[in-house]
Amino acid sequence: MEAKLIKKDALAEVVKRIAGQKLVYAPVKDGSRVNFKYLDQGESAFLDYGNSTNAPKNIFFPQTETMMRYTRTDKGNKLVSAQENIDEMVLFGVRPCDLRSFKLLDMVFDQEKYSDPYYVKRRQQTTIVAMACRQPPSSICFCTSVGGHPYLSDGADILISELDDNEFLVEFLSSKGESLAKLFGSLDDATDTSMARKNELSEASAAAIKSTIPATEIKPWLDENFDHPYWDTIHQSCLACGTCSYLCPTCHCFDIKDEVTGDDGLRLRTWDSCMYSIYSKETSGHNPRPGQKQRWRQRLMHKFKYFVDNFNAISCVGCGRCVANCPVNTDIRKVVSDIAKL
Amino acid sequence: MNDIEKNIREEAKRLLDENLVDLVIGYQEGTLPLQTAPVFISSGDEVDKLVFNSCCKQNLAIYVHAALKQHHQAQERVKPEDKKQKVVGVIARGCTSRSLVIHLQEQQYLREEIVVIGVPCSGYIDKNKLAEKTDGAEIVAGSVDGDTVTVETAKGTTKLKLDEVLAGNCLTCAYNNPVISDFSAGEIPARDCADEFAEVDEFAALSESERWDYFSREMNKCMRCFACRNICPSCYCASCFAEQSQPEWVGAGINPSDNQVFQVMRMFHMAGRCVDCGSCVEVCAEGIDLRKFLKKLDQDDQNLYGHKAGVKLDEPSPLASFRENDRETFIFEPE
Repeated sequence: MEAKLIKKDALAEVVKRIAGQKLVYAPVKDGSRVNFKYLDQGESAFLDYGNSTNAPKNIFFPQTETMMRYTRTDKGNKLVSAQENIDEMVLFGVRPCDLRSFKLLDMVFDQEKYSDPYYVKRRQQTTIVAMACRQPPSSICFCTSVGGHPYLSDGADILISELDDNEFLVEFLSSKGESLAKLFGSLDDATDTSMARKNELSEASAAAIKSTIPATEIKPWLDENFDHPYWDTIHQSCLACGTCSYLCPTCHCFDIKDEVTGDDGLRLRTWDSCMYSIYSKETSGHNPRPGQKQRWRQRLMHKFKYFVDNFNAISCVGCGRCVANCPVNTDIRKVVSDIAKL
Repeated sequence: MNDIEKNIREEAKRLLDENLVDLVIGYQEGTLPLQTAPVFISSGDEVDKLVFNSCCKQNLAIYVHAALKQHHQAQERVKPEDKKQKVVGVIARGCTSRSLVIHLQEQQYLREEIVVIGVPCSGYIDKNKLAEKTDGAEIVAGSVDGDTVTVETAKGTTKLKLDEVLAGNCLTCAYNNPVISDFSAGEIPARDCADEFAEVDEFAALSESERWDYFSREMNKCMRCFACRNICPSCYCASCFAEQSQPEWVGAGINPSDNQVFQVMRMFHMAGRCVDCGSCVEVCAEGIDLRKFLKKLDQDDQNLYGHKAGVKLDEPSPLASFRENDRETFIFEPE
């Protein structure tokens, strides 16, 4: 494993150089928002950012994806796989919380028994360049409460950490990462001092995260209290919109729908949200989760109980997007803390 | 606590203690700076949660509709002699009261099923304008004192004039006092506002391709979370066209034309029914400027029919009523 030092200006050039050769998915500034997108020819990434409004999960798990095509013919239906040829991609500048979300999504989509070819292919073709958080991007951040860390590198092929305002440490952590090394140009080797500086900043950043939630403590309560009056208290103001799920890096529920025009059909996979009234609605019209109360319980249970039961991990990375963007200020940190007090 | 808060708390307590209402819907302090959240109070002991200030963004009328609709549905299976009435109290500013009027005109519930606790309102703070002022930096603390908004970010503390960060719809709103109320927590003079359609006219003056580019760009941001539809008090259909599958009006994918179809169809349902509360803009995580298009409908409503949505209880929407002198040139002599 190699570690190098790079100047800020040079780093911006590196992104351009990579984008000249591969598809790059990176944060781009749009007004006061920052969002991940595939860079256009000559477009610059915006690396001086806190975190993006939308989670970067779209690169592996697109909001809409064609799974297959079919045509009705005289001899029956002709089915064609729609699995695209995925070019090599680079996900540049992803924050450690979102990096962790990929580990969690892998648990769902890349299991020994069930492996999702669409997701796995995109994942294999992508090199992940993560950027550590020298300061927590927001006072809402609570990654350390849910198994994350502002300098987490697990799952990254390259980790970039800011050492001071003008210098970055670049650690090549995997062979995929090392194969990008030549595009970084010739760089000075990192010294023991720079590694020590990184560790110091890492500890300081983790210590600066003031927002904490009792994420693991509530599991025993959730195990016992599927029916509890508390569930009547959180959903009233919920608009049943999908903002929280769609911005969430770990939410992965999807719907499969056919779109037919004449004899031609497409089978699409799209994001779904447990907040929607048609989520889990059956053809008969019956819905096992008839109201927002049951849907909110599902959201919380899925993240803090079901996922733990299935994969031994909490399905929340503490990015705070749902907290910052909920139109009615329903704060999952408060919900979890309130449950811990019951 | 300001005088308005003191008044609404007292009135809410009286209504709940005397069993005149079953529920009061209002605003409470939020968990983030400069934010409030809707609150549902059913006991006089909880009224101290109620607040009212320039951070109260949501139009609460949609919650009134939801609460009463749910009650009506539950009552369908009750014997006539056992049927009960539910009365909902609501903290209502100008736009909220106009939405209540629309619900009443559209016979969603009866006047006696609601108690309107009217509050004067000079506007709410727009999160998008605030984000522009801080260039996207997170606001870690904030307060409003009279006409001054103080915001603290990692970069330092800034003092802003309230008018600089008020939502666009609030800056052109002259309905600063509710149009209907059963109790008034105070009154303020109506805002002396500039031409409310100036922005629409400016947009209309652009070339067709410029307008199309703007529209497409805004619609491309849509992630179809449906927050705009779900907060809108005029969007109360039990089942929305966007979710129908036979026929499928809106495709499941997020391709640009489906986003456009969803938004255009939703907006057209707002003709003569949009009170310009700005909630659809405020809730949008992607910052889509829906108001630019909705305001055009408002302008047409006014210019073609001399109507303003939800202002007069006995003046229903032009599309829900008929007058002999209604314009019909668009049928017989289209431009």
